[in-house]
Amino acid sequence: MVIIPALNEGRKIGEVVREVAALGYDAAVIDDGSKDDTAAVAKEAGALVLSHVINRGQGAALRTGIGYARRHNYEFAVFFDADGQMSAAEIEKLIDVLKSGAQVALGSRFLGTTEGMPRIKWLTLKLGLIFTRLTTGLKLTDVHNGFQAWRLSALKATNLVQDRQAYASELLQEISRCRLVFQEVPVTIKYTRYSKSKGQSVFNAFNILWDLIIKR
Amino acid sequence: MPIQFILILAAAVMIIRSFFKLKNREIRIGEFITWLGIWLAVIVVVIYPDIASFLAIKLGVTRGADLVIYVALVLIFYLFFRFLVRLEKIEKDITKIVSHVTLNDETKKK
Repeated sequence: MVIIPALNEGRKIGEVVREVAALGYDAAVIDDGSKDDTAAVAKEAGALVLSHVINRGQGAALRTGIGYARRHNYEFAVFFDADGQMSAAEIEKLIDVLKSGAQVALGSRFLGTTEGMPRIKWLTLKLGLIFTRLTTGLKLTDVHNGFQAWRLSALKATNLVQDRQAYASELLQEISRCRLVFQEVPVTIKYTRYSKSKGQSVFNAFNILWDLIIKR
Repeated sequence: MPIQFILILAAAVMIIRSFFKLKNREIRIGEFITWLGIWLAVIVVVIYPDIASFLAIKLGVTRGADLVIYVALVLIFYLFFRFLVRLEKIEKDITKIVSHVTLNDETKKK
């Protein structure tokens, strides 16, 4: 199952869902309290749509998707962004890594390719790598990359509580805490004008740090 | 002095408000007793400021007023911490409910 959290992505979600569905995957769009027609567009494109009545955050939306995948006995869950930054054709690479024995496949834009990445984003991610190394001990080449694939059995072992953007750091902390077998996979992340306008501000890093300190 | 009268009146108003909140079951007996204790301590220190000076000297603080501020700051930070913890619990519970409703709505559709 490909889990796609979405907030006000009416413009892009149809295209993203069609791209995923065309490759034969089950696409589940978690509409996190959108004010536009995200849910309707996603449904028309062929996705299963689960709608939060109010906005709770990307982490919360992902957990709803994971809950659905567990209830319906899916073996793998792929996390995929709704803004068109990722390429559905690369989902297969992540799943192949899980099939070869890993419990988690982490997409890495620095092992793969980036198109149009802002410099400040590059710097923030590199600082994030240092933070992740210090807090988890994991030697990674990318952090806060939403393109991931997990075995549902591995997700079952985790304790995820972060509702907002801190969930991305939390996933890595859980990999470390649960000693999950992971492998990084080169992926392509395309930064378009649209995706940059939807992306989080670099100052959100301070909010993420606050959430990680307070909520643990 | 006028400031003593104002502070005693304010403390008395807070005690009465706390009592009515207890009566309406908006707060529990433990919370009422805690606030009663705090406001009674305020009244005692306002009427007998020498008590604060006495305690300040014993604790190595120069002035009674400084001791009152230090204690008040510690109390405020403690209460703020407890407030944050409770707020986070509420946020988690809201997300649990939203997720539960979302998944159950989907189950019902089938």
